[in-house]
Amino acid sequence: MLLIQSNAIADALNSSEWVFPIAECFHIAAFAWSIGLIALVDFRLLGVGMRRESAAEIARATAPWTLLGLAVVLLSGPVLFLSDARMYLHNPSFQFKIGALVIAIIFNYTIHRKVALSNSSTAAVQMLVGAVSLALWVSVVFGGLFIAFA
Amino acid sequence: MTYIRESGLTYPVIMSTHLACIAVFGGMIVMTDLRLLGVALQDRPIADVINGLRWWKRLGFCIMVAMGIMLAGSKATDYYPNPYFWTKLSLLALIGIHALIFRPRVYNDPEKLDSSPIIPTRAKAAGALSLVLWTGVVCAGRLIGYYEPPNQKGHIVAANEPRP
Repeated sequence: MLLIQSNAIADALNSSEWVFPIAECFHIAAFAWSIGLIALVDFRLLGVGMRRESAAEIARATAPWTLLGLAVVLLSGPVLFLSDARMYLHNPSFQFKIGALVIAIIFNYTIHRKVALSNSSTAAVQMLVGAVSLALWVSVVFGGLFIAFA
Repeated sequence: MTYIRESGLTYPVIMSTHLACIAVFGGMIVMTDLRLLGVALQDRPIADVINGLRWWKRLGFCIMVAMGIMLAGSKATDYYPNPYFWTKLSLLALIGIHALIFRPRVYNDPEKLDSSPIIPTRAKAAGALSLVLWTGVVCAGRLIGYYEPPNQKGHIVAANEPRP
């Protein structure tokens, strides 16, 4: 715990006033990128958006780009976290966000992927999965913002 | 506007909605730009991407602007001197110019882009510029919260500024 609080990264983050905002910009741009691409699949599962493509096609086309975005998110996130680890750990909104994030990522790479790629699920199942996915990721975003307001 | 500024929950909820819209609708812009650049979904027509997403992007834009007006309007005296806020609005204006320039020859006629064997340069330019401009808007938007006006008596710290 002591190491989390006082480490080289935290020192770098807190000594320059620009490191945190820049890391945040990467974090936000990357989540807009990745959640947005996931949302494209979700919209298709809900039956709207690029309807001439199947959900499977959109999922397959966006998968590598989504992964890239998520990689930047998951690299920039800990950088932000380490700037004030204790505060974040005790922040209820942060705790909620991480919980929602874990569920969202697991859901995305299991049930969501399966339903999106299969093309054989019923419309009801597709819509449910699309809606749940959107709800999970929007919860992560809300959780993230409320960190500053909690 | 006063209600929004002074409320406990309303202001952050409006901002979260603004942010959630960036997340949900940002991907549509990303997808369009990646397709125009020819790096994603290459085996499907550009027209499918542009036509399929057009109205959803516009809906997202309307919600974003509505949230943005409520955010900035409720704290106008804080936003007015903020250079990042004006940078963001300037970039949005540039995006408007981008639309004026590229709509007639790219976005309004995507079938023509598909009919040529390689993606025309103007389409790639539209996609690349769009990515750069929108990324700029998002970054400028986040940096709004970091501006500290020169010390004045009685300055109230905006709720969206980071904790000291």
